[in-house]
Amino acid sequence: MSRSAGPVNTIVKVLLSLMYGLPLLWILLTSFKSSADVFATDSTFVFRPVVTAYVEALDGALLDALQQSVVIAVGTTALTLAIAIPAGYGLARTRGWAVSVGLGLLIVLQMLPQTANVIPLFQIFGDWGLLDSTLGVVVADSALLVPFAVILMRPFFRAVPPQLEEAAAIDGASVLRSFFSVVLPVARNGVATTGTLVFLLAWGEFLYAVNFFLSPGTYPLSALLAQQVSAFGINWPGLMALAVLSSVPVLLVYSLTYRLLRDGLTVGAVK
Amino acid sequence: MSTPAPAAARASAAAPQRRPRRQSRYLFLLPALVFLALFSVYPLVQLVRMSLSDVTASTLNTAWPFIGLENFQQGLASGQTGDALTRTAVFVLVVTVVGMVLGLAGAIALRTRGRWSNVLLAVMVFAWALPPVVNGSVWKFLFADAGLLNVAARAVGLTDTALPFLYDQYWALGAVAFVNSWAVIPFNALVFRAALLNIEPEVFEAAALDGASRWQEVRHIMVPSVRPTMLVLLVLTIVYGFRSFDFIYVMTYGGPGTATNTLPFLGYLQAFSRFDFGLGASTSVVAVLVVLVLAVLYARSISKEEKE
Repeated sequence: MSRSAGPVNTIVKVLLSLMYGLPLLWILLTSFKSSADVFATDSTFVFRPVVTAYVEALDGALLDALQQSVVIAVGTTALTLAIAIPAGYGLARTRGWAVSVGLGLLIVLQMLPQTANVIPLFQIFGDWGLLDSTLGVVVADSALLVPFAVILMRPFFRAVPPQLEEAAAIDGASVLRSFFSVVLPVARNGVATTGTLVFLLAWGEFLYAVNFFLSPGTYPLSALLAQQVSAFGINWPGLMALAVLSSVPVLLVYSLTYRLLRDGLTVGAVK
Repeated sequence: MSTPAPAAARASAAAPQRRPRRQSRYLFLLPALVFLALFSVYPLVQLVRMSLSDVTASTLNTAWPFIGLENFQQGLASGQTGDALTRTAVFVLVVTVVGMVLGLAGAIALRTRGRWSNVLLAVMVFAWALPPVVNGSVWKFLFADAGLLNVAARAVGLTDTALPFLYDQYWALGAVAFVNSWAVIPFNALVFRAALLNIEPEVFEAAALDGASRWQEVRHIMVPSVRPTMLVLLVLTIVYGFRSFDFIYVMTYGGPGTATNTLPFLGYLQAFSRFDFGLGASTSVVAVLVVLVLAVLYARSISKEEKE
């Protein structure tokens, strides 16, 4: 381990640095370019930075979309955690065929292509009056993310020693009480990791938003971006400015939770 | 917490109380059960019903005439389902091979601590955490005729005309698949890295004493020790590639022509662009069946890893 990195390692690192550094740098550079500079080859790296794209992007519609994104992402995170935390704990502490069936079903649900959900949900929401409503999108996003959240949290709850709860029971705590004051604090890393991921996924989700909201006026940022990028004659600086603005909250959440993600993400995948 | 033995002794004294407690834990499952039954399982039932009926935009919320397997036959006879399956297979193959190989190579390269490794890992995980619609937009821009990749290709004299990354039917499928693997590499590298960090340092010291080359270290120490992880990750990456649609939506919207219509995306287009909900549902049911096979493989690889 103490040996210096070999040439192959260095090549891999250079390749990955280019693959991940350049695109991120590119969003930022392009968002500060004028439309004329975007496709001019002599101004690839050297150009006069302008904030036109941001000024044009930052209008009332964008603030509405931003607010919509926040409501959807926060609402989805809250609803998903409220359902998935007890379920993750319940599946960690019970055994038998019912649990195996439940876990199997969760795995299948988690793996389903979202396009297989959007077709029937569109019809069902039409029936139930949930189309064109923020609540509908929050519910659909939660249905998408609950299986994932339960599977990710279960190992964290399993890692809580049962003896702790038994000790709490001796001291007279009810199941509910020992869950809230003993289990949850011990498993908080799992809850935080899951909550972060659910927030990030809900923030980026756009298929439900594009199909369930009937007019772009109520779109969240992700759906607005998806709609603009698939349009003809794309205004690249404007699009990149929108991309940067949609990424700022992600950067914020990410910088607060990077360690948690780096170490906690791998638990649910393989256990 | 530091005295598990007395706690266990106390627990056995409380044995009569354990049974009702265990059962009351089933109540914790209730909210998820109700919620998923309503918004995940019921939609699946509707999807299957829809695939066996003649449903268009105008009959969506009325009674559906039952037509049996006609939708499936129509999909197969027109060649759409078969073509989509082939394209999906190619797509998944590219995502899996690139995602797994670069994921493992990245994990090996980033295993050692150092400023470059730390920063690169953080940047990669950040790219992974960004919304797919943001990443898709950037890559669409990089692939454009006057985008960075074409500028670079012209600068080194690789080509005179712009490379048709997203406009040629063969290039487009490969380009979108590449971006999908780009998005999954950070996750795979992170999981592989965690497995590599579990190897005892003494093993490497012993190998170094025996004069093992770096390649021998990779082949005889690292790869065997990540093999169980690799199996699980392999299935996860295949599933990820199979169910992917957001990069397709953003970068090509299934085009040019039908070049990037993978099976899930074809179902979406049939339902929401051609408003043939029955046909779209039948295509999606085929996709769900593929997922069922993959889920069985996944469950097997997990139980195998837990044994090892």
